Amino acid sequence: MKILLIKKKNIYQEEIENKKKSEHYNDEFVIECRDLNLWYDDFQALKNINMKYRKNKVTAIIGPSGCGKSTLLRCFNRMNDVIEDCKIEGEVLFNGKNLYNNDADVRLNRKKIGMIFQKPNPFPMSIYDNITYGPKIHKILDDEKLEKISIRCLKRAVLWDEVKDRMDDSAMGLSGGQQQRLCIARALAVEPEVLLMDEPTASLDPIATQKIEELITQLKKEWTVIIVTHNMQQAARISDYTAFMYLGEMIEYDKTEKIFENPEKKLTENYITGRFG
Amino acid sequence: METKTIFDEEIYFQDDDLSYLEKNRDPLIKWVLFAFASVATIFVFLIIIFLFVNGAPFFAAVPLDEFFFGTNWYPSKGDFGALLIIVDTLLVTLGAIVIALPLGILTAIFIAELAPPLLRKILKFTIEILVGIPSIVYGFFGVVILSTWLKDIFNMHDGRSWLAGSIILALMALPTIVSVCEDAIRSVPNYYREASYAMGATRWQTIRKVVIPAGMSGITAAMILGIGRAIGETMAMTLVLGGVFRLPSPLTNMLSPVSTITSTIALTWGPTAQGSIEQRALLALAIVLFLMTLIVNTISNIIMTRVKQKFTGEKPKEKYSSLKETKVYQYYKRYKQLIITGFVIFLVILILPDANSQLFGSVFIIGLSFVYYIYKKVPKQRKRLVIYSVLLSFIGWVLSTWIGMFLAVLICCIIFSAIVFLKRLSSVLQQQIWFGFIYMSSAFAVFAVGILVFYIVARGAPTFFEPGFLIGTPSNSGREGGIFPAIIGTLQLTLGSIVFALPLGMFAGIYLSEYAKDNKITKFIRAGIDNLNGTPSIIFGLFGVVFFLLFIGLPRSLLVGILTLGLMILPTIIRTTEEAVKAIPQSFREGSLALGSSKFQGIVKIVLPAAIPGIVTGAILGMGRSAGETAPIMFTAVRSHSRFITFSLLNPVMALTYHLFRLSGEVTGGLERAAGTALTLLVLVLLLYGLTFIIRIRYEKTKQW
Repeated sequence: MKILLIKKKNIYQEEIENKKKSEHYNDEFVIECRDLNLWYDDFQALKNINMKYRKNKVTAIIGPSGCGKSTLLRCFNRMNDVIEDCKIEGEVLFNGKNLYNNDADVRLNRKKIGMIFQKPNPFPMSIYDNITYGPKIHKILDDEKLEKISIRCLKRAVLWDEVKDRMDDSAMGLSGGQQQRLCIARALAVEPEVLLMDEPTASLDPIATQKIEELITQLKKEWTVIIVTHNMQQAARISDYTAFMYLGEMIEYDKTEKIFENPEKKLTENYITGRFG
Repeated sequence: METKTIFDEEIYFQDDDLSYLEKNRDPLIKWVLFAFASVATIFVFLIIIFLFVNGAPFFAAVPLDEFFFGTNWYPSKGDFGALLIIVDTLLVTLGAIVIALPLGILTAIFIAELAPPLLRKILKFTIEILVGIPSIVYGFFGVVILSTWLKDIFNMHDGRSWLAGSIILALMALPTIVSVCEDAIRSVPNYYREASYAMGATRWQTIRKVVIPAGMSGITAAMILGIGRAIGETMAMTLVLGGVFRLPSPLTNMLSPVSTITSTIALTWGPTAQGSIEQRALLALAIVLFLMTLIVNTISNIIMTRVKQKFTGEKPKEKYSSLKETKVYQYYKRYKQLIITGFVIFLVILILPDANSQLFGSVFIIGLSFVYYIYKKVPKQRKRLVIYSVLLSFIGWVLSTWIGMFLAVLICCIIFSAIVFLKRLSSVLQQQIWFGFIYMSSAFAVFAVGILVFYIVARGAPTFFEPGFLIGTPSNSGREGGIFPAIIGTLQLTLGSIVFALPLGMFAGIYLSEYAKDNKITKFIRAGIDNLNGTPSIIFGLFGVVFFLLFIGLPRSLLVGILTLGLMILPTIIRTTEEAVKAIPQSFREGSLALGSSKFQGIVKIVLPAAIPGIVTGAILGMGRSAGETAPIMFTAVRSHSRFITFSLLNPVMALTYHLFRLSGEVTGGLERAAGTALTLLVLVLLLYGLTFIIRIRYEKTKQW
């Protein structure tokens, strides 16, 4: 048992060391949640969550299944509104304004806070139409602009070289990894400030996963990324900050190397070292 | 406004890009859709309300026990004993099910499990198309060909009888039963079969012990749907039953002419005076019919939900769990049978008029309860034996009334020993024998349906291809000339009904699936729509008369026909739209919302385009049904004879179905034209159904999620 633990720690060690050398940290916050509570019917899925997310950083949320991490993520662009019997208390501040205020414009906020889903969900239309769907909805109808946007976003999502000759083919014909990058490109097309990613690589193979991870590290230069993941190595590899959730509660939230090297709470340590999960 | 450069490129978006209207468009649209859904729902419930309000005065005038227990039906003499009609209806239905069910199930097993892929596809295609053959065409076949055969075989005075009705109903219900059974069997996951094969079971053992039990609820649902269709069938029954108000004597005499509820209404509604007691009596019969189909539909819905739960592993919600813990409920559970028996006896005493019959009824029910009590004590392994012996003695009794006691007992003994013998054979031999049965009955089913289509085509083709038949006008009461006005009339009715029902049904369906909350009201509305989906068309016809003609005061016209037919297909359209929209994965909607679209934009741009094939299929199926129905229009919209085409909504029109009905019944000597008309109708409806099939195939090819 002990040998196994040491081995596991070593895997993270390498990632963390690399990180320490290259990064510096700033303290500008984009999203902040205060006393966030959420119920599905009678079941309390989130309990008193207080968190601040830093700008231009990758924040990972980890935790066992059913701990509420996806629910928390969906609070940040109000996707939980879709679910019936869902009740939310508390505040989520985005650039200082509460998303749940009555005068908050849900659609505008969703535009600024993009989301990538667990399963790639391109619409059943052509690649070009997929990318331009968002801009069209937000009233950009000029063909020239739309084309510029689509090329720019596909390049950013590192998909351009693979699809440039078949922009009019159905997006459903792409591979899983390509579909997910298309979804990222689609989210970028409306120029969001924050990208929420709900286990974006859960349904992909290792090679596609690696590409997405590379993409995420690229994206962080310009965007803030909040990512929910099951894969702890992934969290260690790509994130600057990591939050550990358990049974709807935020157990620990700190710099990634702190969480993985020297967690404060016993529960976090147990989870990271694989004693449960 | 915060500005931010992304990779030093220009930014196209502005923060406040939504106008006031756009911000508030979604609630507005929700209300519009809600209005459509309410109109559809109101119509749905109007039908039920008007039926009951207009039928109720009858029960004030005639005592319940006379209606439900009398066996004389002479409305003109004041005799309203509906029991005979109800019993006749049940007998005809029972006969049809006895014929259709074994054939249907065995054929379904053949198609789902044994047929090679190509044959399977062909058979499935044929069955789906056969579901659409109008009932009046079956009726024409029954009266012209089947009843003559029966007359010759059994030396009858007239071939029109209970047997003819049951055979026609069985033919009609067969496609429905096969199609639903086949779906049920196909939906049994393959790993069940693999698990069984892996233990060395034969194919037949796997089918018998694994596949059929797993698909049992679906097969039961198929049976109940078949019963529902048979009970509500109208036009064919008016033609082939003989229309005599008498109980068969003895009760198993299948060769005697009878009358069902539907045929009674269709045949005797016309001459009755407005608001007369006779008319109210027919409405009362319609209420009985409605309640019968309501029960059948409810049972089949419950079973279907269970099927779904079984395969998705969802557990039904525990209802009234707090109630179940109370002492009263515990007592109820313990003495359930006693309490129910007592309640039924109380009801019997309440309903039955005199002491004698009350005593008799009570004793009968106590006896029944006692038998059930004993049956429950029988150990589980022996229950099948009890069921088999009861079934066998019932068959013996039926046979004995036909061919005498001695032969009946002999046949039962042979069946019994055959079963015992079969059980002792090796499993491979058993499989061969059963497969033989399956092949034979599938071949028989295909043959029977084939004969029907063949005769209609063979008889109708000479007239159909006669110059001037399709484009000429009728003369001599339709015995001569063409059917052009009828074709145009049918097209007008069909197109009109879809123009009326499609927007209404589509918007209502979208509201129900996308906006309605999943609460009790929605469930209630959905239940109402589901039940109307299985309500016999004659009831829509009566509603058309009572509501549009009598209550609103419209004349008998194209418009009323369109509205009545439209209401009839409305439930189908609502449901198919709902199903089509629901089949679109939730992730598409979320993907759209996450980009900042409104809910309605997501529905219009993503959900609806993907759901269009399903909605169109529903619409065309509705058109096929409109084109093939007679009962809803025969009192509301049609005229028997016309030389001209009318374009006014307030004039009555000719219709192919009604024309065929008249030519095969009332008008003698018109059989040639009738055959031609039947073929025209067949071609028209099959074209529509074929179209849906093509759409489905194309859709399945392009569907990518």
